[in-house]
Amino acid sequence: MEFNPDLIYSILASTLRSSVPLILASMGGCFSMRAGVSDLGLEGMMLSGAFFSVVGSWLTGSPWIGLLFGAGFGILFSMLHAVMHVTYKINASISGMSVNLLAAASTPLLLTLIFNLSGKSAAVAAFTRPNWPWLNKIPVLGKILGTQNVLFYVTILLVILSWIFIYKTKLGLRMRMVSENPEAASTVGLNVKAYKYFGVAMSGCLAGLGGAYLSLGQMNLFVEEMTAGRGYIAVVINAFGKYNPLGALAGSLFFGFFDSLQTIFQGILPSQIVMMTPYLFTLLIITFGMRGARAPAGVGKHVED
Amino acid sequence: MDDKQRSVKRLGMKDSFVNSFFALVFSLLLGMLFLAASGYSAIESYKSIFGVSLGTVKGFALSLSQATPIMFTGLSFALAYRVRMINTGAEGQLYAGAIAAAIVGAYITSLPGVVHIPLAFLAAFIAGGLVALLVALAKVYFGANEIIMTLMLNQVIILFTSYLSNGPLKPAGSGVGQTERILDSAKLTRLIPQTQLTTAIFLVIGVAILLQLMLDKTVFGYEIKITGNNLRAAEVAGINVARTYITTFALSGAVAGLGGAAMVLGVNYRFIEGFSSSYGFAGISIAALAAYSPAGVIVSAFLIGILKSGTITLNRLTSIPVEFVEVIQVLIIIFVAAPKLISSILNIFKKIKDKFVKNKEIPLKENNVNGGES
Repeated sequence: MEFNPDLIYSILASTLRSSVPLILASMGGCFSMRAGVSDLGLEGMMLSGAFFSVVGSWLTGSPWIGLLFGAGFGILFSMLHAVMHVTYKINASISGMSVNLLAAASTPLLLTLIFNLSGKSAAVAAFTRPNWPWLNKIPVLGKILGTQNVLFYVTILLVILSWIFIYKTKLGLRMRMVSENPEAASTVGLNVKAYKYFGVAMSGCLAGLGGAYLSLGQMNLFVEEMTAGRGYIAVVINAFGKYNPLGALAGSLFFGFFDSLQTIFQGILPSQIVMMTPYLFTLLIITFGMRGARAPAGVGKHVED
Repeated sequence: MDDKQRSVKRLGMKDSFVNSFFALVFSLLLGMLFLAASGYSAIESYKSIFGVSLGTVKGFALSLSQATPIMFTGLSFALAYRVRMINTGAEGQLYAGAIAAAIVGAYITSLPGVVHIPLAFLAAFIAGGLVALLVALAKVYFGANEIIMTLMLNQVIILFTSYLSNGPLKPAGSGVGQTERILDSAKLTRLIPQTQLTTAIFLVIGVAILLQLMLDKTVFGYEIKITGNNLRAAEVAGINVARTYITTFALSGAVAGLGGAAMVLGVNYRFIEGFSSSYGFAGISIAALAAYSPAGVIVSAFLIGILKSGTITLNRLTSIPVEFVEVIQVLIIIFVAAPKLISSILNIFKKIKDKFVKNKEIPLKENNVNGGES
C-alpha cells in the first residue's frame, strides 16, 4: 500500500470527532465518581441531552440554545439518579439503569409526540465548522483541527477547567474527600449529600453536552438510540482513566482512535462486523485492562442522617 | 420452618405485594397524566386498552402472546437477581437463542416434530447460556461489571446476527435481513387460529414452575438464596460462591435464549433482524414487579401483556403511541425500587386528607398542603 498522508490526516481528524462525546461523558463520570456516586447513568443522560438539544435548536433555531437544553435536560435526568440513590439510598446500579431505561423509553415517545415522526427527528440548525483561514494555513495541524467544529475547543477547555476544579480547588478537594470517606467528611462538617448532588448534576450536564455533540455536532438531527452504548463505554473509559479528567481525555482519544480505524476496514469487511469493533474493544478492556483501576473508596457509601 | 419464620416470610411477601401493587397503580396514574398532557382522553384510553385485551378472545390471545417472550426475559432477570447479579443482557441472549433455534429449525431436516422442536429449544438454551456464561466468568474471575459486559455483548450479538441474516444465512431473493424459513416440523402449534398464541406459553409456565421449585425446594436454590442475601454467610457456610454465581447467571441467560426460540418457532418462523421490541429490557420491569419470584413473573408479564396488546390494538384506531407502554414499564421499575418513595407519596395523600378533614372542622389555614412534596 502506498503511503497516503491524507488517509492519516483523516483518521486523526475522525479520531478527534469520535472522541469528543466520549471525553465529555467520561469527564462527567469523573465528577460523579469523585463525589462518591456511581456513573452508570451516563448513557441515559447522554441520550436525553442528544434529544433535547435537538428540541431546543428546533424551537429557537439556535444550536447554542440547543446545547443549553441538552445540558439542562442532562441535569434533569441525572437528578432521578441522585434522588433515588443519594436521597432514597437505592442501589446505584438500579437507579443508574433507571435513568438509562427512562431515556431509552421516553425519547422515542417524545419523538412521536413532538415531531410526529418515528425513528428520527426533523433536521435542525446545527454547529458548523468555524471558518478560520489562519488555522487552515498551518500544515498538518490545520488538516486535522480544521475539520473540527467549535465544540471540540469547548471540550478541551472543559477538560482543563474540570481538572483544575477537581485537583486544585478547595471545593474539589472536599468533593474528593466525600468520595473517599463520606463518614470523615461528614464529621468535619461537610454536607455530604450536597456534594453528591453536585457531582451527579455535573455528570448530567457534561454527559448532556456529549449527547448534544452527537446530535448537533456530528449530525443535525436526533436518531433513536443514537448514543448506541457510548455512555457505557464512557463508564469504562472513566475507570480506565482512573477517574481523572486528563485520564478521561487520554482514554477517549484511545477509544476514538480504534473507532476511527473502522474507516479503513470499511469495504474490506462487512459493515456489521466493522461496527462491532468498539464494543469488542470495550469488552476486552473491561475484562483484562482494569487491573490498576481503583474506584474512590467511598463510592456508594451513605452517611447516617 | 417454625411458625414465627413462616409469618415473617408471609409478612415479607405481603409487603412486596403491597409495594408492587402501588408501584403499578402509580405508574398507570402517571401514564394517565402523560396521555392527558399529550391530548388523549386518559380514562377512555385506559377503558379501551383493558376492554380490548380482556373483553375479546383475540385481544386476550394477543395479551398472552405479547406476554410470552417477556415472561422468559422476566424469569431470566429474576433468577440472576436472586444472587444480586443484574442481567441486562437478556436482549442479546434472546437474539443468540433465536438465531440458534432458526438454524436448527431450518437446516436439520427429516426429524419428527417431537424431536425437532425440543432440539431447537435446546440449541437456544445453550446459545443463551453460553453468552451469559462468558459474562459470569469475566465477573467472577476478572471482576468485570456484568451490567456493562452484558450491554456491550448485546450490541455485539445484535450486530453479528444482523450480519448473519444479511449475509451467509440470507435466503436467495430476500430483501430484508432474515434467515431461511424453518421447516414445518419445527413450528409450534397455534392454540387459537389466526393469533400468535402458541404452545410456548405452556413451556414458559413450566419453566417458571421448575425455577420456583428449584429456588424453594433444592439445595442449589438454598445456596442461591444465601449467596444473594448474605455473601459473607455463604462463604462461611462453605458454599462454592463462584460456582453459584456462574451457574445461576448461565441459567438466567439460557432462559432468555428460550424466549428467542419461542419467537422464532412460534411467531416469525425464521430469524428476522431486529425482531425484538426491547423484550430484554421489559424483563427487568416484569421481574421487579414480581418481586423476583418466578411465579410472580407469569402474573406481572401478563399484566404488561394486557397493556401492550391493548395499546397495539388502540394504536390502529387512535394513533396512541405504543412507546407509551415502555415508559410505564420504566416507571414501574423506579417505583418498585423505591418503597420509600411510594410511602412518602402515600404520606402526602394522607396529609392532604388529614388537612381536608381538619379544614372541615376548623376552616382556617389553607396553605402548607403542598409542603410535603420533594
